[in-house]
Order: sequence, then C-alpha cells, then structure tokens
Amino acid sequence: MLPLRYSLRSLWVRRSRAALTVGVIALVVLAMGLLCGLVSSMKTSLAGAGSPRNLIVLRKGATSDGASALPLEVYQALRFFDGVARDEGGEPLVSPELVVQPFGMTRWGSRESAQVRGVEAPAFELRDEVRIRQGRRLRPSSAEAIVGRAAAARYAGAEPGGELALGNSRWRVVGIFESGGSALDSEIWVDARQLANDVKRPSPYSSLRLRVADGADVSALIRRIESDPRFALAASVESDYYAKQAASTDALYLVVAGLALLAGTGAAFGATNTLYAAVQARTREIGTLRALGFSRGAIALSFLLEAALMGLTGFGLGSGLAWLGALAISATVGDVSTFAMDGTALVSVRVGALDLAAAFALAIAISLGGALAPALRAARLRPIDALRKG
Amino acid sequence: MRYLPLVLANLRRSPLRSLLTAAAIAFAIALVCLLRTMPEGLESILDYAASGTRVVVLNRAGFDYLLPYAHLQRLRALPGVASAASWTWYGGVIEVEKGVTFPSFATEPELVGEVFPDFGLGPEALAAFQSRRDGALVGRATAQSYGWKAGDRIALAGSVYPVDLELQIVEVLPHDLSPVLLFHREYLDQALQAVGASLDTASLFYVRVDDRARIEPLQAEIDALFRNSPAQTLSETEKEYFKNMFSALDAFVAITIAVTALVALCIVFIAANTASLSVRERAPELAVLKAIGFKKRLVFGLLVLEASVLALGGGAAGALGSLALTLGLHGAATSLMSQVGPLGSFVVTRAIMVEGLFLALFVGMLSGVVPSFGAARRGVAETLREVF
Repeated sequence: MLPLRYSLRSLWVRRSRAALTVGVIALVVLAMGLLCGLVSSMKTSLAGAGSPRNLIVLRKGATSDGASALPLEVYQALRFFDGVARDEGGEPLVSPELVVQPFGMTRWGSRESAQVRGVEAPAFELRDEVRIRQGRRLRPSSAEAIVGRAAAARYAGAEPGGELALGNSRWRVVGIFESGGSALDSEIWVDARQLANDVKRPSPYSSLRLRVADGADVSALIRRIESDPRFALAASVESDYYAKQAASTDALYLVVAGLALLAGTGAAFGATNTLYAAVQARTREIGTLRALGFSRGAIALSFLLEAALMGLTGFGLGSGLAWLGALAISATVGDVSTFAMDGTALVSVRVGALDLAAAFALAIAISLGGALAPALRAARLRPIDALRKG
Repeated sequence: MRYLPLVLANLRRSPLRSLLTAAAIAFAIALVCLLRTMPEGLESILDYAASGTRVVVLNRAGFDYLLPYAHLQRLRALPGVASAASWTWYGGVIEVEKGVTFPSFATEPELVGEVFPDFGLGPEALAAFQSRRDGALVGRATAQSYGWKAGDRIALAGSVYPVDLELQIVEVLPHDLSPVLLFHREYLDQALQAVGASLDTASLFYVRVDDRARIEPLQAEIDALFRNSPAQTLSETEKEYFKNMFSALDAFVAITIAVTALVALCIVFIAANTASLSVRERAPELAVLKAIGFKKRLVFGLLVLEASVLALGGGAAGALGSLALTLGLHGAATSLMSQVGPLGSFVVTRAIMVEGLFLALFVGMLSGVVPSFGAARRGVAETLREVF
C-alpha cells in the first residue's frame, strides 16, 4: 500500500489542476448545502410550530387556517366539550382565531400579503413557545398589534411604537414576539374581533385551537368534534397539522436536490477528465511503482485516495462557503419569503446537518465516481508498456 | 469545410476525453436551460393567462377583503369599459377527506362571453351555461386531473360560505392554463338566502377594455371613483395581478438561479480547461503542421473549430436533454401526479435552447482561443526543438 503522503504530494505537484476540481466540487457542495438548507429551513419552521397537546379545528375540507371559516356557534359549543382542558379559573382553554392575509407594505416599499392572525387571550396560553421579546402583549378589543420576529424585520412600521397599515385599519405595534424560529415568527397578531370588523367576512373565525385535558382521550375528542351533526368540522393534532403543511415542501426539496445533482454529475465528468489526464501524465511513474512491486490494488487505491482527498477538501471549502452564503443572505435580504399555508412565510436560511450530510455524500460520490474509471485504468497498466512509453 | 474530417479525427483521437468534456458541457447547458425556463415560463404563463385587455379591480386592503357588489354597476358605466363581471371566491372543496381544492368563483353567466372572449366559448356553450342555474364551467387542467367531462355532476363543500353546492359541468373551458371553476352567482345567493344570509359582495371585478390605450388611465379613474367609498379599490392589469400573487417567491427563485448558474458556469470552465489541455499536449504536432506549410491562421482556426464542435455537440445534447426532461414533467403533471403541479407548466422553449447553444459555442470558442492563440503563435523551430 502506498503511503498517504504519496497521494498528498501528487496532488500538490499538480495543484493548479487539482484546485480546479476541488473548486468545482466546492461549488456543487455550496449549491447543494445552500439550496437544501433553504428548503429544509422552510420545513423546520413549519414543523416546529404546533404542540402535540393542542387540537386545531377547521371547517371540513379546508387545507389551512387561512382557507377555513367557522361561525361563532362552533366556538360556543366546543368550549364545553369533555376533554377540553381548563385554566385555573375554570375557563376552557379554547382559542378562537381568525387568519387573514391583507396587503402589507415591506420596509422597501413593495406590497405583499402579510399573515395576520386575530387572537383572543387564550392564544397565549395555548402556545408555550411564544414569548414576548420586546414590549408587551396586546390588549383585548384594542387596535394594537404584536409582530413576530421575522415580520418585524420585514414590514414598514412593525416596531414597538410604530404603526402598521394593514387592511382598512392602522394598528399600533406594542410588542415583538418570538416563537423559537417557527412559522409563527412571520405572523402579525391583532385582536380577533377588531380584525373580523376590519375584514367583514361572513364568519368571525377561521379556526379554533384547544388544549386537550391531561389524561383525556384525544382520538375520542376528535371523533366527537368531527361527528357533531350541527357543523362540518375537521380536527387534528396541532403538531400533525403543521407536519402536514411541512410535507408540502418535500417536492421543492426534490427539485433543488435534483438541480444540485445535475450540477454534481456535470462536475463528476470534469473530475474524471482531470484524473484521466493525471493517469496519462503519470504513466511512467505508475510503471515504476509497479516495477518496484506495488500491487494493482495499491495503485488504484492511491488514485481513489487522491480523489477522495479532493472531494473532502472541496466539501470543507464548499460547506464553509454555504455557511458564509447563508450568513450573506441573512445580512443582505434577511429572511427569504416563501409561500406556505396560503400566505407569506418568512424563513431565515440555516444550513443544517442533514443538508451538509447530503452535500457530503454528493461530494464523495462526485470524486470517487469520477475517479473510479481512471484509477482502474492506472491499475491495469502493464509495467513494461508503461515504462517503455514516453 | 475541407478540414472538417481532420477536426473530427482529432476529436476521435481520445474519444473518452472528448465524450467526458462534451458530457460535462451538456450537463451545464442543461442546467442553464432549465434555470432560464423558470422566469421565462412564468412570464409566458402570465402572457398566456392574461389577455392584456382586462383590468382587475381588487379591494385595496387585500385579497381576503370583499368589495360591495354595487361597485359593478358603476364600473360598467365608466367610459371605455366594454364590459365588466364580478368574481366571488367560493373556496369550494371536492373530496373533503383529502382537502384538495382549486379556485372556484361565482360569476354572472351572461357576462362570461363578453368579458372573457379569450376563453373561446362558442354561443351554444354560453347559452348552455346560462340556461342551467346549477351549471358550471371548469378549466381544462382541473377537469383533467379529476377526470370530469361535460354533463358530470359534482358536489362542492364551501369553506368560506356555510353552504355546499351541487353543480353540473356544462362545458370544459378550452383554455389550457386556467384551473378555475365558474358557476352562477345567483345560485350561490339563493343557497345563502336559504340559510338566512345573502350575497351583496364580490371578491374582484374583471373589467374589459377594448382600446388598449385606455387601460392605464382607466386604472387611475377607477381607483379615484371609489376613493371615498368604504371599500377603496386597487386596479391592476391582469398580468400584474397574477404576478403579484407569486411575488413572495421572488427571493427564493433568485437565490436558486444565482447559485445554480454559478455552478453551471464553473463546470463549463472546467470543461474548457480540459479542452485546452488537449491543445497544449499537441504542441509538437502543431509545430509539424506549420513546418509543412499550414498557415498560422489556419492552425488557429482548426483548433478553435475543434473546441467549438465539441462544445456545440455537448450543448445540443444538454439543450435537448432539458427539453426532454421538461416535456416529461409536463406529461407527468397532466397525467400522473398533481404533486408536480406548476412545474409541469415549464417547458424549455426554442429560444432558450438556441441561447444554450450559443452559450456552448461561446464557451467552446473561448476554450479553444486561449490556448490556441499561444500554440499557433509559437515559433516552429522553438517547439520542434522541445520535441526532439
């Protein structure tokens, strides 16, 4: 077996050519890491929202909060169902909510549909992850608003003391909240009745969230809600609901991974070519090694090792670039806006371990896949021919 | 042309290398073509879907906000307005368990023909739609994905209004992209009255203008007309309206394009590097060519031609490959999986393929020119001396 130093030194001798291959692998890793990171950030922000202890109730057939409509009677009826948790005061933990997407102005003056949620007091009790980071909660029945961390950075006037023009009203911003990077961070919360007044929809609410009492039978409660003959309702565990929303990003993940894979295949052809050239240039050297007694396997292995080293270096460089790229995106455009749940969802790009693992697999596949044929050719050289040549 | 056999023979000398270089270029060009398709596809969808003779009137507050139905009469009375119709978002859901949905709107059946001549509905179809109070028109894309045809009865569950509707499809819209389902406004109104509600609002108005020069001033006039009403309006051309619906995706698309284009470019350069490698290796042979009387310019031209032929071959394969891929996706979207969704609408156009070929040609020439310039200029004696 040839020493590792041999592979390292061979790379160093042809460093400019090796650098090209490493550079392309690094770029492919950058693409894979950054693009997959973007999509998986979308996914985690959706999947991170919702609690397994809550149920979300929508009108049957509605795919999301924003596409659902519930009359007041549903709220009044469901409050007194068995299995609904109550707070210390004996009030049922049921949060009626209204999701609307009015036009909002971004800080750079473009118009988009913002995600606005009308809430009442229980909304905070049902969402343990929501914390007020700055300012205070909104007062009921007032034209006050609190904004999620990501929404605060995006919309004009979305800072404490500022005024948000959304829908037909102006809302006084009294606080900024945070939900640990979940989809709620892109939302703006206002009073539910004020919002219903503003939008003048036929139904006052779009969804209900309720906390399941400790020890209650969740599936029985779901069955009870869905089989109520007065309404056509669908209930699901809140975390399942968000997981389902998150699954909609899977197709997108495949698309960007496919793009990166396509780039990777192109890069693999480039790598193969470079290594073939290296084998050709080193024919004599290989002949000498074989004459010295190194086996075919050792020769092939050393070429594969060389390629793997290039792949690793490319991966190291590329993942660094992806990390920097994510930072650069955060610094320049901030949160990337995407479509989710019928509204604008803001996602801060993070390159996760899984994305890097995918990129790593691709980098190694490119380098080893590209090196296989040249390495075998090198191993198959007959020492006598190799020495005679050139 | 006389030298083409020589060029081809040179390419065949190391078939594997030529093949690999061409393949790398092919993949890069395929990537570029696919990426160029994204914005172009969106643009062409917009051009196709939007007539250019309609103005969309929305509530200034947002898509969820309704407009008073009475606005319609005032819109129709404006000078230059050929016709106007209202659309009311019903949010009908089919297959309630799966929650699959498509845009469904209530509209005035007698106005569809006037406001949407581009739907291509004949007088019989329009008459059939008007004569059935539960009649519905459905876009071809939606009809295909559910296997509906004219005459089928369907049941829609309302998600916005508390009423479910039974409809009979009278005609499939002969318009490829529109997935909408349209039905009688009055039918929805009657269903609402049965549960003690009524319909006095609309989601948006479509205003058809015959004189294209009127479109811009009319938008301002409409918004001015309703400035002091409780529901202020926002008028846009149909194209702007569709575009704004997807504007949230702009940043995402831009990042994807930028990153992938960068990679494609790099693959192209590494391919170019390999091409130039083969020129450098052949320096002695080129010197011999010149020694036997080939002119500098001819040698240079031959090398550039060789690199260009290789790159063009790769580029053509890449462009055709991307076309095949998008056609495949298109087929899958219409027949098998609705999951592919809008991706199926993007098919590589001829213009993009030509662009890809030019890019390949440019790269090929670049990879040929740089090393060949040196090789062609070097003195014969000097090079030959190195060889012997």
